[in-house]
Order: sequence, then C-alpha cells, then structure tokens
Amino acid sequence: MADTINQTTRKGFLVDTSRCIGCRSCQVACKQWNKLDADKTANKGTFENPRDLTPALYNRIRFIEKETSGEMTWQFFNERCMHCGDAGCMKVCPSPGALYRTKDGIVAFNKDKCISCKYCVSACPFNIPRYGTDDKVSKCHLCTDRISGGMTPACAKACPTETLKYGKRSDLIAKATAAKKTLYGVDDLLGLGVVYALEGPPEQYGLPAKPGIPMSIFLWKDVIKPLGILGFWGSIGAMLLHYVTIGPKKVDDDLNVKEDGHE
Amino acid sequence: MSNYIERFSTSERVLHWIVTASFFTLLLTGLGLYSTLFNGYFSLFGGGRNAILIHKISGVLFFLSSLYMFFNHQKDVTGFDQDDKKWVTERGGYLSRNASHFNIGKYNPGQKLFAIFIAAATLVLGVTGLFIWAPTMFPRWIVQLSLMAHGLMFVCSIMFVVVHVYLATIGNPGTIEAMLYGNVRSLWARKHHPKWYREVTGEKP
Repeated sequence: MADTINQTTRKGFLVDTSRCIGCRSCQVACKQWNKLDADKTANKGTFENPRDLTPALYNRIRFIEKETSGEMTWQFFNERCMHCGDAGCMKVCPSPGALYRTKDGIVAFNKDKCISCKYCVSACPFNIPRYGTDDKVSKCHLCTDRISGGMTPACAKACPTETLKYGKRSDLIAKATAAKKTLYGVDDLLGLGVVYALEGPPEQYGLPAKPGIPMSIFLWKDVIKPLGILGFWGSIGAMLLHYVTIGPKKVDDDLNVKEDGHE
Repeated sequence: MSNYIERFSTSERVLHWIVTASFFTLLLTGLGLYSTLFNGYFSLFGGGRNAILIHKISGVLFFLSSLYMFFNHQKDVTGFDQDDKKWVTERGGYLSRNASHFNIGKYNPGQKLFAIFIAAATLVLGVTGLFIWAPTMFPRWIVQLSLMAHGLMFVCSIMFVVVHVYLATIGNPGTIEAMLYGNVRSLWARKHHPKWYREVTGEKP
C-alpha cells in the first residue's frame, strides 16, 4: 500500500532529553489513557522499570547510567514508536488498514484488521511493535483518539518538564533548531514523527546512527516482490512463446521415420 | 510387446499429488502475504488469519511429502552420466524444431535438476518458514533474512513449477499420463527415455 505523508501538516513530538527527570509520568499517563494493564517486573538493580516495551507499555523511559570521573550520571530517553515517514511496519503489513497513517502523519493500528503475521516486528528499524496474548500488534499510536478530539497525547499532557512536546512537526523542529539543539530523526526515513534533542551521540541512547529499514526487508519488498511478479508472468509468457515458435515434442513425429508396424 | 509400460506406481502418483495439492494451497494462502496486491486471495480462506493457519498446516504437509518424494527418487535423480551431459549441452533439443535423440534414462537432466531444486527449495522454505512462524522467539536478523529468503525461494519455485507444468503437459504430449494413470505409451518412452525403456522391456538397442 502506498504510504504517503504530508510533511507540512505533519504532527509529532519533540523529545528534549536534557529536560527529562525520569519521573515516568509519561509511562503512567499512557497506561491510564489507553487502559493498559500493569506488567509484573523484577528488580534488576536499576531504577529503569520495566526494562523493555511490552504489549501493555507503549512508551517508557530508558535509564542510561554513565560514569564520568567516578561520578554516576543518568541520561533519560523516551522510547516509543517513532512514527517514521517511511515506515517499515507499513511497508510489510499484508493486511490493509491494520497499520495505517492518519491525516496527522501518525502510524496508528487497528487490532481488528491485524492478522497476527508479525511482519512489522521484523521490519521496524527501532524494534518497537509488540504482540500480546491477543496476538495482535500494539505500540504507541500517539493517542490518535485524543488528537482527533483536539487534545494533547496523554504522555505529553502528563510530562511535568515539557520534555515531551507535541505539535506541528515543522514548528517543533524550527524552534529546537533555533535553540541550537542537536536533533535526531529530522530527515531519516522521510523524517521521524518523534524527533529527539540528544545530549550525545545517538549510539549512547541505543539508537542507530543512521536508522533505516533493514536491508533484507528492503530487498524482500522492493526488489524480490516486483521482480517475482514479473518473473512469474515472464515464465508463463516464455512457455507460450516456446509452444507457438518451437512447439511441443510430439511422439508421433518419429512415426514416419521409424518402423513401428510390429506393435 | 504391450503398448503401455508403467512409469509411476500408485503410491508414487498419490504422493506427487499430495505434494502438488499442498504446494498450490501454500501458493493461494501465501499470495496475500506476498503482496497487498493479492489481498483478495485471503477471502478464499475466510480472512488473513485463517490463510496463515492453513499456510502453516499445508507447509508442514508440503515439507514432509516433498522431502519424502525426493528421497524416494534420490538414486534416480542425483546421478548424471555422459548421455545427460549431451542433453544439457544441446538443451534437450528444446530450442530447435529438428528432431533430437538423446539416450536418456528414467529422468532427463532437466527433470533431475528440477527434483534437486525443489528439494533444496523445500528445505529453505521449511526452515525459514519456521523462523517466520514464531518471529519473536528468534533474533530479529534471522527472521529478517528468512522473510527475504522465503520470498526469493517462492519466486524461484513458482517459475520452475510453471516450466514443469508446461513440459509435463502440452510441451510433451503423452507425459501427463504417467502421473495420471501411471502408464505411458511405449512410443513415448522410446522417444523420451530410450535407456529406461530398454531397461524396463529388456529390448536390445
């Protein structure tokens, strides 16, 4: 399905990691609005909790512990669906409407249309989609239901430090650029819907420096798929061409030259 | 001398059609997964979820029956002799209208290569299919490579199958009978597989 995005009206987040205090209000507000159950977690010796996105956790704060000259410092990173302009999940989804782009440029999902193939899990450049016990896709949908009612997504509404800022994507980027922030995701994958102002190299936050749709997924969907359709019809065409040009090998061809009278 | 000789036994024919039926079930259930262009094929099975379920069941059936079929014929399809070499260099006479004569055994090199290819494709499609079956249980890169390899092997398979169907039906009249009733006409056997014909009938060249 052709996935088109209107860059001028596109909505999104700007996540200024320097402002984040790791309070996790975003995690809680998201769970509350989206009616997501609590996950049972285990203490692994860090404040980071839970340690990964789950089917019932659409966004979370990653706690990055850094030690500089004997002192421990934290960096906080809000992990969620990036709402890519060129979305790998939508590229591979075989069920039209299961993953779809809203008029605001958000990648939303419809569980009723999801057929549980889990292709999106493999195609996501950021390893975001999760499947729960219902065997259906789940991920951040930027509170599509709130946005359509003119409200701010729950996480941004709850954020006490304005780390998560929701608005027109181009405005958010313009403001952050004017403030001389180092931005991540402005142009990658036709622009991420969630742009980050980082305080260090992307790798430090567990982000790919140059995010892209995985090579094998690209080859599968953009090379093998179209060439395969061409190859199928080509082979049928070649067989028909062979039939009318060279023709079949008829057994009777040899009857005249061979003596088969004794049969 | 009888007009007909047996080419495939009843069990060989039943096995072949089990492989065929599971292949085309896989094709029809998989088309919608291959591209949204073929989304309509899902409705044949009552939606994508059912199509995936049937794809998995027929996948297991195809994997087992196809490999069993290969091992059944392994000794006949994996050896190539000098006569086979001549067949390959002259493309089996398929690129010319002139009558061609090759001293071919039960299977010609084209058939042998097809059998070997389908066995290899069955392996690849089966193993990659397993990774795609439960993608969250394996590393992402394995599943990503599997999705690509599964698609690629499917494309190669369907193209080989098109050629296979053509050569076994209208391309070589009289061939399909071997897979339908098991018997072929002696004339057919003598033309297409003379060495095998002599082995079966004991006739001197």
